[in-house]
Amino acid sequence: MLPQKLIDVLERNATDIEESDDETGEQEYAADTATSTMGKFMKSGKVVLLLSGRFAGRKAIIVKNYDEGTQDKQYGHALVAGIDRYPRKVTKAMGKKKRKDRSKMKSFMKVVNFNHMMPTRYSVDVNLDKASVNKDAFRDPGLKKKARREVKAKFEERYKTGKNRWFFQKLRF
Amino acid sequence: MYLNSNLINVLEREDQSIKMVAQKKTKKSIENINSRLALVMKSGKYVLGYKQTLKTLRHGKAKLVIIANNTPPLRKSEIEYYAMLAKTGVHHYNGNNIELGTACGKYFRVCTLSITDPGDSDIIRSMPGEQQGQPAV
Repeated sequence: MLPQKLIDVLERNATDIEESDDETGEQEYAADTATSTMGKFMKSGKVVLLLSGRFAGRKAIIVKNYDEGTQDKQYGHALVAGIDRYPRKVTKAMGKKKRKDRSKMKSFMKVVNFNHMMPTRYSVDVNLDKASVNKDAFRDPGLKKKARREVKAKFEERYKTGKNRWFFQKLRF
Repeated sequence: MYLNSNLINVLEREDQSIKMVAQKKTKKSIENINSRLALVMKSGKYVLGYKQTLKTLRHGKAKLVIIANNTPPLRKSEIEYYAMLAKTGVHHYNGNNIELGTACGKYFRVCTLSITDPGDSDIIRSMPGEQQGQPAV
C-alpha cells in the first residue's frame, strides 16, 4: 500500500487550475443525482491511482468497470489502462528529436479490484478502441501487446496536445 | 458617535445571545442525532465499518456517512474525498468510536458508518444542514 499523506498529495496536486476535465465529469454526476442515486463515480474515463501491486502509485484511467463483479471475479473491479513509465520532462532548450524521445511513455493494462484503487476527481475522455482494449486481451500475449500499443499511441497523442496535464505527471510521494 | 457606540453595544448583545443559542443547539443536536440514529437502526438500512462504507460510497448507495471524531485523519480525509466524489453528505459525529458504537446500539466500536436507507428517520433531511465538511459540488 502507498505510504501516508496520500490525500495531501492529491489535494496538493489538485491546485492545477488548467484541468478542465472536471466539468464534464461533474455534469455527468449532476444528471445522475437528478435521476438515480447519489453519484456512482467509478465510471469509464475516471482517473484513479493504483494503490498496490507492481503499478502502485501510477495513474490510470478506468476503461470498463464491473461494479457487481463477474462469475470469476465476484468483487467490484475495473479494467484500467495507465502509464507505467511517465514521459520525461521537456524544456525549451531541447531540440526536436530530444523532445520526441523524452515524450515517450510506456503504458499498461490491468484488471484491478476497486479496493486497490484511489479515485480522483479528474477524468480523461480518451476513446480507447474497445475492440482491442478489453478483458479478452489478457488471454493471449499478442493481443495484450496490441492493446498496450493502442493505449500507448492514444496516450502519447493526448500528451502532445497538452491537455490533461495532471494525468501525465508522475505522482510524487 | 453616541448612536454608533450604542449600536455596537446592541449588536454585541445580540451576538452573545446568538452564541448562547448556538451552544444550546449543540447540546440538543447531539441528542437529536442519537435519537435519529436509533430510529435508523430500527427501521432503516445501514452499514457499519470502514470497508463497507467505502463500498456503499463507490456504488452510490450511501445517503449519509457518519465519522467518529477519533478516526485517524488520513482515513477521515479519504472518506470525505470519496463522499465528495459521490456527492454524499458527511456528518462528523461529536463523539469517539466507542460512543458512536453505543449510539448504534452495538457493543463494539464504530468509526465509520453509512446510511443507505433512512427508513422512518429524517436524519438525511435534517443533518446535512448542521454538518461541517459539506461536500462542494
